[in-house]
Amino acid sequence: MELKTITKVFLIVLLLVAPWFNSHLDNNVPAAKVSQEDVTFYEINPCKASLFDFLKANSESIYQDHFYFRFDNKSSIKCFGRVTGVTVLEKSLETAFYISLGTNSFINLLFQGFIWIILFSFIPKNKNPDDKRIERRFHNLTLILVSYLFTFSIYSESRFYEKNFYLFDFDYLDSYIPIFFSFLLLLKILVETFMERSDVIINYIPYLYLVSALFSGFNLNFLSMLLVYFGFQSLVSKEDNSVFNKTFNKVFLALSTWWIFNSTGSYSFNLGKFRGFSSSIYEFNANLFWIIYFFLLLKGIQFIYINLKEKFNLDSFTQNLSITSSALLITSYIGANFPIINFFNYYFLGLQRLGIDIQNPFSIDEYSLKIAWRGISPSAETIGEFYGICLIFLLFNIVKTQKLNFFRIVGIFSSALGLYFSDNRTVIVLVFSIIIIYLFLLNNKFQTKKNFIGYILISLVVIAMLLLVVGSNNFTLSYQFLSESLIDKANASQFDSIYSSYLTLLNKNFENSTMYSYFFSFFSTIAYFLNRSEIWGVFFSRYNPTFMEFLFGSGPLNFGQLYGEVVINKTEFCILTTKFICTESFLLPHSSFLSYLLFFGVLPLVLLVLTLLLFLYKNRKNYEFVLITTYIFINTFKNDSLNYFVPFCFYAFIILILNSRFRLRKI
Amino acid sequence: MSLVTKLCGEYPVNFIKVDISNDPNYVFENDPNYSIKQLFDSEGNKVFVNSFTECEHYVSGGWGFSPDINNEIFFQDVLFYIVILLLFISFFKNKLKFFVKIWN
Repeated sequence: MELKTITKVFLIVLLLVAPWFNSHLDNNVPAAKVSQEDVTFYEINPCKASLFDFLKANSESIYQDHFYFRFDNKSSIKCFGRVTGVTVLEKSLETAFYISLGTNSFINLLFQGFIWIILFSFIPKNKNPDDKRIERRFHNLTLILVSYLFTFSIYSESRFYEKNFYLFDFDYLDSYIPIFFSFLLLLKILVETFMERSDVIINYIPYLYLVSALFSGFNLNFLSMLLVYFGFQSLVSKEDNSVFNKTFNKVFLALSTWWIFNSTGSYSFNLGKFRGFSSSIYEFNANLFWIIYFFLLLKGIQFIYINLKEKFNLDSFTQNLSITSSALLITSYIGANFPIINFFNYYFLGLQRLGIDIQNPFSIDEYSLKIAWRGISPSAETIGEFYGICLIFLLFNIVKTQKLNFFRIVGIFSSALGLYFSDNRTVIVLVFSIIIIYLFLLNNKFQTKKNFIGYILISLVVIAMLLLVVGSNNFTLSYQFLSESLIDKANASQFDSIYSSYLTLLNKNFENSTMYSYFFSFFSTIAYFLNRSEIWGVFFSRYNPTFMEFLFGSGPLNFGQLYGEVVINKTEFCILTTKFICTESFLLPHSSFLSYLLFFGVLPLVLLVLTLLLFLYKNRKNYEFVLITTYIFINTFKNDSLNYFVPFCFYAFIILILNSRFRLRKI
Repeated sequence: MSLVTKLCGEYPVNFIKVDISNDPNYVFENDPNYSIKQLFDSEGNKVFVNSFTECEHYVSGGWGFSPDINNEIFFQDVLFYIVILLLFISFFKNKLKFFVKIWN
């Protein structure tokens, strides 16, 4: 191992461990052991015992599942890494200890940022550093603009940040200055680190699923700074002069003007697992930030793709997918079984939410149904989609190379296991169907009349799998019941005499049996088969657009208006797991299409879908592109994937890489 | 933003600073519209102030935040200067290398 690598490893170990030794206890006074009856030591001595002191006195907290370590972003700098409080609660007839650890947000910004930059630096450097891969213009000015934009996001969402910062008064300019310079420093180092590794970076994208890089206490993703930086670069580069880009910029500008002028009112949104890729408030400034952010993010992804697409290597990409899926399984399993590792996973990997605490990923409930196990991912469905993509890419790679090496075997095993744990049955069916269809397509079975039986066999297999997902019993239900299930659920969620504008429209259409009601009936049937009637019903009971908002949306990545405008019935939606978990009327849309209908409106959404279909048709001979795009399309239709930063970027990159300009089988 | 504004709030309109040091018998009048503030000196002694005039007088005389808050402000300042130093190094590292070469 090189001396440089050893130094980096040493530095990272030091950074990971050192803060948790920050003790302020007198030498003769050890930290106390916590018990159900007595946690007084930690009540009398907040911010005195370090995490290490606590673990020394309560070694069982490392592995026992009734200890829960939680972050306290609003603690002082002095308290960083110390126990700020211990609470005893009853949880499912069991005593649970909640240990609050000081994690100051300002420190988090620098500390987490530097850790991720060091991790980033483990990616091999370019072999020829003098080659200019990406031409950059106005570098320093762009750095300042991006830092300013990110600092502006703190101002625009100051209500969210006031809850997470200690002694920062966001009414005054003074508080923004240290944050601005911190962003500038981190961004400068990040961009330099990226530029030195641009040759291989595109093959390392799968690691995003392992290190999400979301600052604790912030609604910002660290890596998005890089994409926004390149978004700015794309605007000043010569490559942005194509007709497509010019048209896109003009359309986005026109839509943005509408969204900004429409941003009246103020509705806050509890971010939850959407932290890092959604606005915490629907207001003029917040909407302005998220519009600019989203635009630059798209431009940044496109810019990186254009400049680095030639560097894509299927072998390397698949190997990194395999390593990521195995690493995800291992970290998730260890995190689920060791509360303290669960906390470290959250903090050092920059997760949206703490990892799952169900220790056994094979768990089933009292009705013998598999419990979805998400590991460190924010959602079981999303991570299931990732494992599915791993399996599909492994298939492409094995078909291309005709070889099965160690990494591929490990990849197949861990992805299959992860997919089973996530219990995403749609993905299981899609992966099996894609494998069968792809193998048939490659053998040109469809082109000869003799193999007509093969054609029927595939259809039968796909239908059988669909039956498996939907459940054969559901096909015996009447069409009237299925077609009305969604509107029934929407009306059931409606409160008193308050109707959302969209629900009123639906009810009128159903009364008069218009064309639109027939279309919606079909949509309702699909929703029922996908087990989405209740969730989508709740969405429609909230969805309250004006006519223009219905056509053009209300701005990207902003749920504030949806969750703040219309009061709905306080129904409880309960998920069956080992415990009966009920979420009181706060359900996410569970469909990226519905989210994007809210953000962009029906016209841009229809245009996007039509473009995608046209693109698929034009590239119908590029099997890999068609299959992966269809896979993503179906999954995003029934899941919130595109509301998370990591899947959004990952899907965008792989669709671009696999498109017709870059056929996989010619690599 | 000045320390007085941070601790006592915005200056009232038409505020006239009274020279209290020349009047040893001066008594501060309570302002019922002013929320009571707590100030600390360097030794950790506390005082409660009931009007902007009183608060401004104490702050001008060296009273301020609690030791804990002072501590936090100190740490924040240290971090800020470290960030500025690192930024300076990162922007001028090539020029710094040149000076190191000359030095050697």
